[in-house]
Amino acid sequence: MRTRGDGNGLLQGNGVLELMDIRKSFGGIDVLKGISIKAAAGRIHALVGENGAGKSTLIKVTAGVVQPDSGSIGFDGAERRWRSPGEAKSFGIHVIYQEFVQFPDLSVAENIFLGDKRVSPGGLLNRRVMLQQARELLAKLGVEIDPSVLVGELSVADQQMVEIAKALSHEVKLLILDEPTAVISGREAELLFVKLRQLRDEGVAIIYVSHRLEEIFELCDDVTVIKDGEPIGTRLVAEVDQATLVSMMVGRRLADLYPPRRRFDKPPVTVLNASDISSGARVKGCSLQLRQGEITALAGMIGSGRTELAMALFGGLPLDGGSIEIDGSSFHRMTPAKAIALGIGLLTEDRKNEGLAMQLDVAANVTAASLEDVTRNGLLDKAAEARIAETAIADYRIACRGASMPVAQMSGGNQQKVLLARWARKARRVLILDEPTRGVDVGAKADIYRMMQDAANRGLAILMISSELPEVVGMADRVVVMRDGLIAGELQGADIDERAIMTLATRAHDAGLKVAA
Amino acid sequence: MSAATLNPAAAKASAKGLRRPASLQGHERLATVVVLLLTLLLVGALVSDRFRSLGNLQNVYEQSVGLALISLGQTVVILTGGIDLSVGSLISLLSVLTSGLIDGHPERITDVVAGILLLGLAVGGLNGLLTIWLGVHPLIVTLGTGAALQGLTLLYSSDSAGSVPPSFEFFAYGRVLGMPAGATLTLLVFLVVAFLLRGTRQGRYVFAVGGDPNAATLLGLPTRRVLVSVYAFSGLCAATTALYVVSRFGVGQPYTGANYTLASITPVVIGGTLLAGGKGGVMGTLLGVYLMALLNNLLNFLDISSHYQLVIQGVIVIVAVSAFTGRRARRS
Amino acid sequence: MDSILAATAVRSQVSPAPARWLAVARRHAGICVAVLFLAAASVAAPSLFKAGNLANMALQFAPLGIVVVGQMLVILVRGLDLSVSSVMATSAVMATAFSGRDADLVWIVPLAIGLGAMVGATNGLLVTKRNVSPFLATLATMIVLQGARNAWTQGAPSGNVPPLLRALGAGMTAGIPNNAVALLVIAALTFVLLHLSTFGRRVYLVGGSPNAARLVGIAVDRVTITAYVMSGIFAAIAGLVLAGYVSVVDNWVGKNFELDSIVAAVMGGIALSGGKGGVGGALMGAAILVVLSNAVVIVGLPIHVQLVMKGFIIVLAAALYAAKSRRAR
Repeated sequence: MRTRGDGNGLLQGNGVLELMDIRKSFGGIDVLKGISIKAAAGRIHALVGENGAGKSTLIKVTAGVVQPDSGSIGFDGAERRWRSPGEAKSFGIHVIYQEFVQFPDLSVAENIFLGDKRVSPGGLLNRRVMLQQARELLAKLGVEIDPSVLVGELSVADQQMVEIAKALSHEVKLLILDEPTAVISGREAELLFVKLRQLRDEGVAIIYVSHRLEEIFELCDDVTVIKDGEPIGTRLVAEVDQATLVSMMVGRRLADLYPPRRRFDKPPVTVLNASDISSGARVKGCSLQLRQGEITALAGMIGSGRTELAMALFGGLPLDGGSIEIDGSSFHRMTPAKAIALGIGLLTEDRKNEGLAMQLDVAANVTAASLEDVTRNGLLDKAAEARIAETAIADYRIACRGASMPVAQMSGGNQQKVLLARWARKARRVLILDEPTRGVDVGAKADIYRMMQDAANRGLAILMISSELPEVVGMADRVVVMRDGLIAGELQGADIDERAIMTLATRAHDAGLKVAA
Repeated sequence: MSAATLNPAAAKASAKGLRRPASLQGHERLATVVVLLLTLLLVGALVSDRFRSLGNLQNVYEQSVGLALISLGQTVVILTGGIDLSVGSLISLLSVLTSGLIDGHPERITDVVAGILLLGLAVGGLNGLLTIWLGVHPLIVTLGTGAALQGLTLLYSSDSAGSVPPSFEFFAYGRVLGMPAGATLTLLVFLVVAFLLRGTRQGRYVFAVGGDPNAATLLGLPTRRVLVSVYAFSGLCAATTALYVVSRFGVGQPYTGANYTLASITPVVIGGTLLAGGKGGVMGTLLGVYLMALLNNLLNFLDISSHYQLVIQGVIVIVAVSAFTGRRARRS
Repeated sequence: MDSILAATAVRSQVSPAPARWLAVARRHAGICVAVLFLAAASVAAPSLFKAGNLANMALQFAPLGIVVVGQMLVILVRGLDLSVSSVMATSAVMATAFSGRDADLVWIVPLAIGLGAMVGATNGLLVTKRNVSPFLATLATMIVLQGARNAWTQGAPSGNVPPLLRALGAGMTAGIPNNAVALLVIAALTFVLLHLSTFGRRVYLVGGSPNAARLVGIAVDRVTITAYVMSGIFAAIAGLVLAGYVSVVDNWVGKNFELDSIVAAVMGGIALSGGKGGVGGALMGAAILVVLSNAVVIVGLPIHVQLVMKGFIIVLAAALYAAKSRRAR
């Protein structure tokens, strides 16, 4: 048991975990570019950064799920390498992932002790001991859960407690929590914080990843900000305020990629009016208007429900509540076919699994949503298809060997252009783009921005979901920010800047900011 | 096989958190089977007096051994989210090998039986290894090995092979303390396996791997070892079924296993084990076995030809599988 | 289940780019396996391609070819049809169920096709609306049909095949088998449907990514059911042709055709994961399988070696495809 630090200066007590200059790249993309971070015993260390900053990769490196390309890991004073999550666990490192590593059809006690040799001498499960120890662990966490109940029957908050109990069943030296309050809130979150403080006081080192800045101020002792795989800085929470944190997270100058901002002479006509949309667990009642010729960005942290909202508008996910008003009618149910007929197009986030037919060529993919344009008497009009494809290749500057090149062989940027071409020719009212420049090189990005602008100028209402703040600021006429399934706020015109967006997305409050209602 | 398509209905159900409580579903299923079983007994007793005789029921119990043993192995494989389509061919092969190698010589029995069991274990293990090494879905692997095994069987003998001495009958016909030896042994085996699955650490691994293989690997569980083991076990079960068949008929025949493949899956799905894996158990399968055996028996007494029995079996499978679309309809 | 494979996949080292011939070989994995077998066979049995043998093989080609074309459609939409052998057998029995005269064909043909369509529709509905796995759904319908058929024939089918059908199934005109006409018609029809029509484009979109297809407004369920229905109809037609070929319909007519059609499809480049392959490949796979099966017999190997060989091919080809798609990811 280690004693708690007295709070003066950074890293009181022994540094339990020290990552030094960790680098990791996946498929040629540098995700971590030399991160160093120290987590001390008896302290809660926050890790913040925007989407794609590298937080989850860092966690995976720490937990032994992936191996760093270079850099060293020091644990408990000695340099270590772990080849598997099991090894990391044996050193006392436990992670509570956002997606719980649980089995819904096994009981709480079984989940907690799965694979644990201590309650299964000679292979035989000692259920009495398992139940008893499970009860004790859960009691220590202050929750009343019957350990013989199947995990699938528990509420999400209780499931999270089971995850924590799992960690606690071993001697924990370092506990990492990845966005724990993404699935719980309010009172349950408070209870969680109480537990975490208890653990901290017992000498456990805790790394707490969250984008909810108010939580960090409530709970954590230190905070490290990372951005684009690089460390921006580590501070004592007591020595920063929210505005500073937000600046650290975003501070970047705008690249010159974006077409010049446009001016609207008169307020544009509303083309789509979505009222109180709810769908599944992720979208809890959002209202949104999309206007002709306007580029509206939908911003927010991962998990805030943006993709689900877009899918609901398009009919890709069921509409549990609310209505969509378009073309003079109001709809309480939507399907992709209906949406397309109404003039809505959706460029999905996952182009490989939900967008392209990877085994087909450019022409087939470009015409996939407009088959009626290449059909003559039920047969494919290959000439028309070729014409459409060639036009698309020229207009969108798609780099390929020709319309019959398989899309699987193309770069991400060009694949995205193919999808853009598909939808731009089909959508006549609304075009929804979900992360249009993800995995796209800079040159293609510029092209895609230009195309978006052209489409808007032609009168389309564009809804762009993006996690790249510079892109949002550069392209959007209007920004709608989502948080936890609801619309947190809207920004218009000159009010759009990265800090304002981040503030709304993370529930930080900044007095000096004008926020459009 | 390929992943299930994104199913809006399933997405809707899981997104809403709309799930019937898991254990209720499990018990519900078992209860349904028990009710069906009792109903069948009742209806049968009323409709046919030959059916309701104790001697008949004992006969059914006795003759359920073959189906029970092979369904046991299939249950465990399905629990991991896989399937073994090679069992029918393996039974054919091992049964002709048994009677062919013993060929009437009682002194050979011990060695041959041991060899057959080991061979079943080995072939099953090979299925598991191929699945892992080649990265091919067990459905395809066992479809292929099943074909190859049937070919090997026919190469060894295109007709019944050899024979076994009368002492070999004991498995199928013998009695111990008035109870049918084979059937009671089978019941005990089921109980043991049920215990192993629920009461040992490694047994829980089976459910974990079937429930979420990625999570299992993330937790550091020996996923590959589990997979090879369950297929080896299925092969072992095929071996014991082959021994039973030879014991029952006195000889092994090359096409004897033909119907066993689908027949081994029916009791599993009736008994509540999900094809997607991770949920279910062997006792449900046993109940399913008794249900199918009694059903066939009753149909025989009602003079409904065995052909219709096939029809009914197919229909039952369809109903059983489609009536309860599991939570994991869209796992990919 | 696919996640089990991902979870247990051997972690591959980054390997240097393979030699060009290797890349080509991988792209046409199934064909390469088959060609290897073929080469071995023709070396071992030069008499394979003698005139008499060729005629024999040509006659065997049509029934298999017709079924494979149907199986291909189902596999293209990420399915599998194990019920084809049962449909074939039942259709063959129907051919003998009447008086054995040509006039009966007026009844036989529509009935058989209707049967195939119905079975296909059942399969398709089970797979799409009830979410039953294709293998189990088609296995179950196969068994149900088998039972029904056996019950009808009391296990001993009898009766005569109408002479016209026999001429179609076993006769030759100017050295070319008549049943090739049936195959040609079906293959041509399917070719037009699959490669020239918009429906075919939908099939490939669904097979490539059912999610993506749904999100461009394609009625994925309808496309899938159509594929199963067509497979059923083709199997029924193949059954009639087969009845004509064997002219004596017994309980074993159509046996193993489900396995054969899958093996042939896989060899013909139809990827079991869906969305890849075409009519040409299907026919080639069927042809190769016919040649291989004959080679086994001509070489003097016991006929059952065919089964072993088919098992090998399936596993090998599937493994090669799996390796290829892992690399592509």
